[in-house]
Formats: sequence, structure tokens, C-alpha cells
Amino acid sequence: MLQYAALIPFFPLAGFIILGLLNKKLPKNIAAVIACGMLLISFGLALGVFMNISGKTEEVQLAPWINVGSFSASFTFLLDPLSSIFLMIITGVGFLIHVYSIGYMHDDEKHNIFFAYLNLFIFFMLVLVLASSYLLMFVGWEGVGLCSYLLIGFWFKTKAYNDAAKKAFIMNRIGDLGFLLGIILLFITFGSSDYHTVFTKANGLMSGDTMITTITLLLFVGAMGKSAQIPLYTWLPDAMAGPTPVSALIHAATMVTAGIYMVARSGILYALSPVSMLVVAVVGIVTAVFAATIALTQNDIKKVLAYSTVSQLGYMFLGLGVGAFSASVFHVMTHAFFKALLFLGAGSVIHGLSGEQDIRHMGGLRKKMPITHITFLLATLAIAGIPPFSGFFSKDEILGHAFSAGMVFWVLGVIGSMMTSFYMFRLLFLAFYGTYRGDEHKVHAHESPKVMTIPLIILAILSTIGGFVGVPESLGGSANFDKFLEPVFHDAYAKMLLMEHSQILSEVALMGITVAAAAISIFFAWNMYVKKKTVPVSEGTRLPFLQNMSYHKYYVDEIYSALITKPLDKISGFLGNVVDNKFIDGIVNASGKLTNWVSGLMRFVQTGNVDFYLLAMVVGIALIIFFKLM
Amino acid sequence: MNTLIILSALGIIALFAEIFRFRKALFPLILLGLGGAFFFTAKEYNHPQIFLGMMNFDNYAVIFSCAILIIAFLWFMMAKNYFLQETSVTDHFALILFSLVGAVVMVSFSNLTMLFLGIEILSVSVYVLAASDKSNVMSNESGFKYFLMGSFATGFLLFGITLIYGITGSFDLASIHTQVAANHDSGLVIAGILLLMIGLAFKSSLAPFHFWAPDVYEGAPTTVTTYMATVVKTAAFAAFFRLFSTCFAGVTGHWTDVLWWMVVLTLFVGNVSAVRQKSVKRLLAYSSVAHAGYIAIAVVSMGAASTSAILYYTFTYSISSISAFTILFIVSRHKGSKDISAFEGMSKANPLLSFAMTVAMLSLAGIPPTAGFFAKYYVFLTAINAGNTLLVLIAVIAALVGIYYYFRVIIAIYFKPEQQLVPIKVGPLHRTVLIITTILTLLFGLFPNLILGWI
Amino acid sequence: MLGDLKTIPLDWYILLSSILFCIGVMGVLFRRNAIIIFMSIELMLNAVNLLLVAFSAYHNDAKGQVFVFFTMAVAAAEIAVGLAILVVVYRNTKSTDIDVLNRLKG
Repeated sequence: MLQYAALIPFFPLAGFIILGLLNKKLPKNIAAVIACGMLLISFGLALGVFMNISGKTEEVQLAPWINVGSFSASFTFLLDPLSSIFLMIITGVGFLIHVYSIGYMHDDEKHNIFFAYLNLFIFFMLVLVLASSYLLMFVGWEGVGLCSYLLIGFWFKTKAYNDAAKKAFIMNRIGDLGFLLGIILLFITFGSSDYHTVFTKANGLMSGDTMITTITLLLFVGAMGKSAQIPLYTWLPDAMAGPTPVSALIHAATMVTAGIYMVARSGILYALSPVSMLVVAVVGIVTAVFAATIALTQNDIKKVLAYSTVSQLGYMFLGLGVGAFSASVFHVMTHAFFKALLFLGAGSVIHGLSGEQDIRHMGGLRKKMPITHITFLLATLAIAGIPPFSGFFSKDEILGHAFSAGMVFWVLGVIGSMMTSFYMFRLLFLAFYGTYRGDEHKVHAHESPKVMTIPLIILAILSTIGGFVGVPESLGGSANFDKFLEPVFHDAYAKMLLMEHSQILSEVALMGITVAAAAISIFFAWNMYVKKKTVPVSEGTRLPFLQNMSYHKYYVDEIYSALITKPLDKISGFLGNVVDNKFIDGIVNASGKLTNWVSGLMRFVQTGNVDFYLLAMVVGIALIIFFKLM
Repeated sequence: MNTLIILSALGIIALFAEIFRFRKALFPLILLGLGGAFFFTAKEYNHPQIFLGMMNFDNYAVIFSCAILIIAFLWFMMAKNYFLQETSVTDHFALILFSLVGAVVMVSFSNLTMLFLGIEILSVSVYVLAASDKSNVMSNESGFKYFLMGSFATGFLLFGITLIYGITGSFDLASIHTQVAANHDSGLVIAGILLLMIGLAFKSSLAPFHFWAPDVYEGAPTTVTTYMATVVKTAAFAAFFRLFSTCFAGVTGHWTDVLWWMVVLTLFVGNVSAVRQKSVKRLLAYSSVAHAGYIAIAVVSMGAASTSAILYYTFTYSISSISAFTILFIVSRHKGSKDISAFEGMSKANPLLSFAMTVAMLSLAGIPPTAGFFAKYYVFLTAINAGNTLLVLIAVIAALVGIYYYFRVIIAIYFKPEQQLVPIKVGPLHRTVLIITTILTLLFGLFPNLILGWI
Repeated sequence: MLGDLKTIPLDWYILLSSILFCIGVMGVLFRRNAIIIFMSIELMLNAVNLLLVAFSAYHNDAKGQVFVFFTMAVAAAEIAVGLAILVVVYRNTKSTDIDVLNRLKG
């Protein structure tokens, strides 16, 4: 089975090539079937890998790639439990979102190109997680960035969407620079970027190595860009300009978790550097809380979910930073289920309301869109961390480890978790309960077609029961998920030593506290939005200071613009107009003219007369002999 | 040796084809024969054979023979129709096959006698081919100029061989190596080495012995020009490097400085002269001179990596050249002109031709992801390893000039107003050649190891 | 025979051949008529042949003389081809003067 695994990424690639080449020649139905079919095959193969991989690590070499001097790199795929889980998420959730897109994008004129891009994205994402070296991972990393850019700006006729696409691309470049520098340093330190070589050599190093700290921090800069952590998170909310399936697939379930994957994959390196671990944990928890506070007051259904994604990614980094690698990956998985579901549910709502995204103009959709409502409710329960839904197990595992690492992480984590429950139920109540606040005459809210609701139902089932693969021992489970991943993180855990588990009693007690906190927030939300029927105020009303700050996202975009973008614009304007146009172009043009002129002269040398040629030869020979022998 | 036997037999069969009237069957027979020759040559890989101290089929010889056979195969596919329609096909195919024998000898000799014979077998055939368009004065002039200057240069080559023989008492490369090392300060040795180098520099068109190349390339039928730019150039450089690396690598002080200046001069003349050319054929001729300069960098910087750099460069350059010349042939046949203006605005009606030409031009200009990029890269790498940084700097500047004139063609194809919207008819053979060369150019650009791994 | 040859120092042969070779080169450079140029090239090749034979005798080694046979054969083939090309040129231009051939230039 495993030898066929190398084919997994190439089915979506084939899909991309077919759809890209034939584009408009294909009827929409066939294009959609090809795109989904390719992914279904990949999913089948991924499932096969997943069944067989437990406890194994396989490398599949496809082709030599670059061989320059002492530098060599090859197209080699690495299959192990960690990559197999990501394979399952990408192909599985990816397939459901593809199917959903058939309904969602049905009337779009660029329908076929959309599926081509989606397939290309899946290809690069699979390369990213299958790569057996940082260099190949970087190829996938850049590829998914490209696809993200293309899909955010998919409706490129609107300028704001274009700006959002550019913003995402540029912010990611900053992160990528860090990632690239990190790879280069890896090369200098270990002489290779292959995981195997790097990790084997790193395993022999002592904890606290300065070089390792530098490398891991640089890699983390890359992760911050891709996974939208402070300070590089502002692109993700804007990225919601793309079609909703894109938000679900790329900006919630898969691509944004690439940073988590990369840090988890480099677990052994991070384990060697307590400083980097602390930085990861602090950035994670701060992002988690910060983004949650913003989400409290947003009114755009997709913006709430976007900030929620940033916040949840923060939790995952918190988990990585406190050494709970498998818990983080667990959360990646459950988050992929419920967040994809939330986005698709939101998409279903937007679809049903003909494009309306403002929750102030929704309400009472519970009756008109029953399936969307039920699935959305289940996802909301999952993200709020209510047992036995999936989010409860993964989030609590992270918080449990955070408690062992430091009280403050846990306290902040619980506060963030309370806010999560609040804003999610606020969203749920405002959209689905109460009465409809939009214009009944213009918009006829309706349930989405089956092709959209079936993926919702499947994801809802997964969100509900997905957590049972990792029920902790303290609750009578057997922590299968952790055991499955243990071989991958074995060396990293060994390096950290501090992995003393909290007492069983206190573990259960901690869970109790978080669940209770979440329940209280839900009650508050219910009280406010269902019982008192509060509706967020409309634009332009003065808000209390804190609420105002949150609503305007702490003016971070404006601060970035004033501090970085505008000065850069000024400098580049100067360089462009004065230095480049006048000075450098002048030199370039002059040298071009000079070459042209000399070329004209050279043509006179080529006279066409044989005797001149012969004479030139003889003179050349005479000169050579003369200078060498005299 | 199998290669030589098969190629000679094919040549003789080609001659018989005229007498016994099986001209139609000749072309498939030749392709089959070349395939067979390739197979038997490739079988000798890692099984070096020595023939009476005259020839040594080591891996170097096998790999270069294979490269030459592949190029020749593509060449036959490209040239078949031209010779079938315009001239007596059998004679010319026989000449090409015999000249291939010369080329194979040139890459496998281990004795100066064989070097001389190889060069002559190759050259004499090509003299005739250059003049093969008998009623065309241009072709006559081309053949005559080539013959005259070629035999003149042969005189110097022979004089060099004789002087080396006079000092060392042998034509055998191995004993020349030891004897030259023993008499390294003798004036006759230095003169001999220099004259040999001049003779080979003429064949590989290095300035100031390049003057024949632009005129001969322009005047000869386009198919023959293609042959000269690809097979002849590959064989010339393979022979050049084989001789100098086995015999004179120990006395680099005597010849590398001269070759250094020749390289600089060649890069300058080739690239700068190409800038103002109107005719694409002449532009490619000058570009061929310029490329000789780049390849010679690897000879100047004689080192461990030079062999693979020369192999990669000559092979990929030949592939791209076949592509470019084939398109030139098709377009000039259609438009009746070889000027850049004939290419203007052809992109709309002829996407395949335009794309193939663009890839070929990008490769010749040395722009990734085409093979031409790595070709230059590896050559420059040998120079940097040998400490020739200044040479690399000059070559990079020359390459920038190169980009300018190659892009003139691309700009003409894509950005000039459309002249006519009638698609140019491309025959199935030409189409196959173009598809193969374009794919290979991109493939070798992405996976240079496909070639480099062999040597 | 060999003994007699050896009484003349080798340097003299080298000198004589070089002079003959240079005369050939000069002939190629300064004559206009293609036939004369061919003859001058023959002179160059024969100067080399003379030198080869002299070296061959000097080294008591027959290979040099064998090489001369190759050279002569090749030179004959070369001149045959050259004359054939010249005939074609003459048919088209009615001249054997090399100055007519300057259409290809620039």
C-alpha cells in the first residue's frame, strides 16, 4: 500500500492540469466530477496509508532533483503517522469542501478555473506535508501561498478583494523570508535539509544551543506568517474576501495549519531550545486571547469565524509551546472538522440569503434552514469545548499541558475559552434564533441544496464524535491519538524531560472548571441575545471605549499602515521616480546604445572577403606564437 | 567500434540506395540504424575497449558518441524532407553518415593520427554539404569559404602535430603526455601545443579564427547549418577537451592564457555582433560563435567538473539549436525570408511554433527553467572552482548582451502586430522534432542530473 | 641512406620546412586565383610532410612516415572536393578569383 502513497498528490495535480488545459471546453458537471473524483482517489490512498502506517516511517524517493556540488536535494516523500494524519485531513475535509463547492459555485462563470485552483492547492498542500526535507516543504509552502493568493482574489474585479489577496501574499512573504533564512541556517549547521539527517544530528546536541534557537525562531517567523499569529495575523480576516469554500478549506482547515505542522515536524529542534518554546507559547496564548476579544464584537459572520480561527491557531501554538505536540495536532484535526463546518454553514447561510453576511440582518433562520442550523449548533458546541464534542478533548488536552507549564497560560487559556463560547453563541443566536431582521420581501431565505447539506452533515458527525479517538486516560479513555503519534515525537519528548503529568484528580478538576466557564458564557450569550433580544448597534453609533477598540480591531491595520506601509511607499516612490527612472535607467539605456553602436562597428570587421579572414587568422597565429615564444 | 561499423555500413547502404532504387526505404533504415548504433554504443558504457592504441572507447567516448547519435537522429528527422525534395537525398545522407563516423572518431581517439583523420573525415563531408545547393551562389560561396579556410587551418593543425611528434617521437596520447611533461620548456613543444590549439579553435569557431562561421552558417542550406552548429560543434569540443585534458593538462601555463584571451574575444565578438543582425540565421550563427566561447570557458578552467559541464552544454545547446533552426526553416520556407520581421506577430496563429521558439531562445539565453541556464551555470562553476572569477564576470556581461538579442526574436513573435493570421503548416516530422526538443529543453532544465549523472 | 640524412642537423630540416610552410601561407594570403591558392595549401601540407619524414628518420620510427601517407591521401581527397566546389562556383560566377565571393558579410 505504502508504495502507492507517492501518487497521492499527483491525482489533484492531474485534475488541475486537465481542468486548466480544457477550462471552458468542459461542461461544469464534468469538471466538478473530475475535481472531486481526483480527490476521492487521493483520499482512498490516504486512508490506505493511514491504516498501515502505525508505528512505521517510510521514505519514498521519486526523483533526484538538484545536485550542485555538495548540495543535493531529491523529491522524496516521507510517510509517518504525523504526515498520514495531515493527509487524512487534507484529502478528507478537502473532498467534502470540493463537493460542497459544486453547489456553492454552481452559477459562477469561472466555475472550472475555481476547481482547477482548488485541485492545485490540494497538490501543493500534500507536497508540503509529504516532503521529507525542508526544501521540498518550502516548495509546497510557496505553492499553497500562491493558490491562496489566486483564490482570495478569485473575484478579482472587485478592488478590495485584490487588495486582500495582495495583503495575504505580502504578509506571507515576510514570514517566508524567516522560513527561508531558517532553512539556509539549517544547511549551514547540518549540511542538509533532509529531516532525517537534521533530526539525527540534532538529537546529539545539548539543549540550549544558540544556533538551534536562532533556527527555530526563524522557522517560527515563517509559521507566524502562514498561520496568522501576532504580529502577522491581519491578512487572515481580510482573506475572507475569497469564496466561502476557500475560507473553509484554505483559511481554516488546512493551509493555515501548515505552521503548526512545521513546528510539530521540527519538534526535536524546538525541544532543544527552551527559549523558542517559550516564545511559541507566549505568541500563541497572546494571539488566542487577543483575537478572541476582537471576535466578540464583529458583525460580519465570516469575520467572526476568521478571528476565531486566528484564536484557535493561537491555542495550537500554545500547545506546541508547552510541549503538547500531539495535543496540538489533535486540535488541528478537530478544528479542521468544526471550523470547516462553521465556514460551510456560514456559506450556506450566505447562499440562502443571496449574499448577506451581516448578522444584524439575519435572525430566525432556525426554521428556514433546519439542517444548516443543527450542524452549525453542533459545530458551535464543539468549538466551545462542551463535552463530549470533539473540541472539548483537544482543547482540554492543550490546557492541561499549559497548566503544567505555567499557571498563567492556563488562566489566560480559560479566559480565551470563555470568550470563544460567548462569541460563537452570540453568532449562533443572532443568526438562527429570534426573528428575521432582514427585508423579507427582497430575500427569500431557503435551505441549501443536498450537495451542500450532505457535506455539512458528514462534518457535523465528525465534529461530534471526532474527539473520541483521543479520550484521555483520566476520563477512562486510552489516549489513542497520543499513542499513534508517540513514535514521531519520541525524541522531542525525551529532550524536554519536564513532561510530568498533572495528577489525575486535578486534571479532571481542570476540565470541570473550563467546561463550567464555557457554560457560563453560553448562558450570558443566551441571556443577552435570546432573552433580551439585543442586536448589535448599527454603524456610526458611539461605543464604549473597550468595545470600540475591539470593534475596530485595535486599529492594528491603521497602525501598520502608518508605521510601515506609508513610509515604505514614500521611500519606494523616491527610489522609483528619481533613482530608478533618471539615474539607473539612464545607465542602462546608455549601455544599450553603446552595445548597439559597437555592434554596428563589428559588422564592418566581417567584410565577407576570404583573404581578409585568412589574414586575420595569420595575424592571430603570429601574435600568439610571438608572445608565447619570445 | 560497433558505432563506427554500423555508421559506415549505413553510409555505404545509402550510396547503394541510389543505384538499386530503394530511396523511399532509406530514411526509416537510417533511423533504425542510428537506433541500433545508439544501442550498441550504450552497451559499451562502463566496458572500455581499446583498439590497437588508436582508439579508446572509454566512458567519455561512449557518452559523447551517444549524444552525437541522439542529435543526429533528431537532425535526420528535421532534414529529411529538405533533402528528399531539393537534392539527391542518398548522396547527402551518405555524406552525413560518413561525417558522423568522423565525429565518433573525434570523440574516441587515443592517437593523433586518428584525431587528424576524424577531423578530416568530418570536415571534408561538411565542405561538400555546405555547397550542396549547387545553383545557389550563397551556398557555393559558403562551401568554398569553409573549404578554403578549413584546409588552411588543417595545415596549422598538421604542423602542430608534427612538432609534437618531433619532440616526443610518438603520436600516442599517453606517451605524449609523459614526454611533454619531460620537455615542457622546449620551444617546439610550446609551438606545437599552440598550433594544435589553433587548429582546434578554428573547428570550434573561437575568435580570431571564427570568421568563417557567420558566413558559412548563413550561406549553407539551413539543414546543413543545423548540422554544423550541433554535431560538428559537439565533436570539435569533445576532441578539443579530450586532447588537451589527456596530453597538456600538466603544462597549462603554455596555453591557458592564450585560450583565456580567445574566450574573451569570442564572447565579445559573438554576442556583440549578433545584436544588429536582421537575419535570424545569421543571428544564430553569431550566437553559435558566442556559445563556443562559453563552452571554451570549461576548457580553460580544466578541472574535474569540466567534462560534465562540456557534455551538458554541448548537448543542451544542440537540442535548443535544432529546435530554433527547425522553426527558422519552417518559417523561412513559408514567408520566403529569414529576417526577424518574418517572425512578427506569429504567436496568435502558431502557438506551438511560437512556444517552441520561445523555449529555445530562453534556453540559448540561459534563463531558467530551461536547460541553457544550468549549462551556463555549470560552466561558470568550473571557472569559479579554477579561480577564473574575472572570466565569469565577463561571461555574465556577455550573457546579458545575449539576452537582448534573443529577446528581440521573442518580442517579434509575441508583441509585434500580426502580419498574417494564416497558420504555418508544420509537417508531422517537424512537429515531432519540435515537441521532443522543447520537452527535453525543459526537462533537462528541471532535472540536470539526467545528463550529468552519466559522466 | 638514413645515415646520410642524419649528417644534416635536424634544425636545418625544421628551418627548411618552416620556410616552405611560410611560403605556402604567403601564397594563400596574397594570391587571388583559387587554383594558385590550392597549390599554396598543398605546399603547406608538403612542408609538413617533409618535416614529418625528417622527424621520423631522426627518431628511427616508421610511424611518422605512415602518417605522411595519411596526410597525402587526405590532402588528395580535400583538393578533389575543393576543385569540385570551385567548378560549381565557376559555373555560377564565371570566375576563379576569390574576390567575387563576398556576398556573405556583416
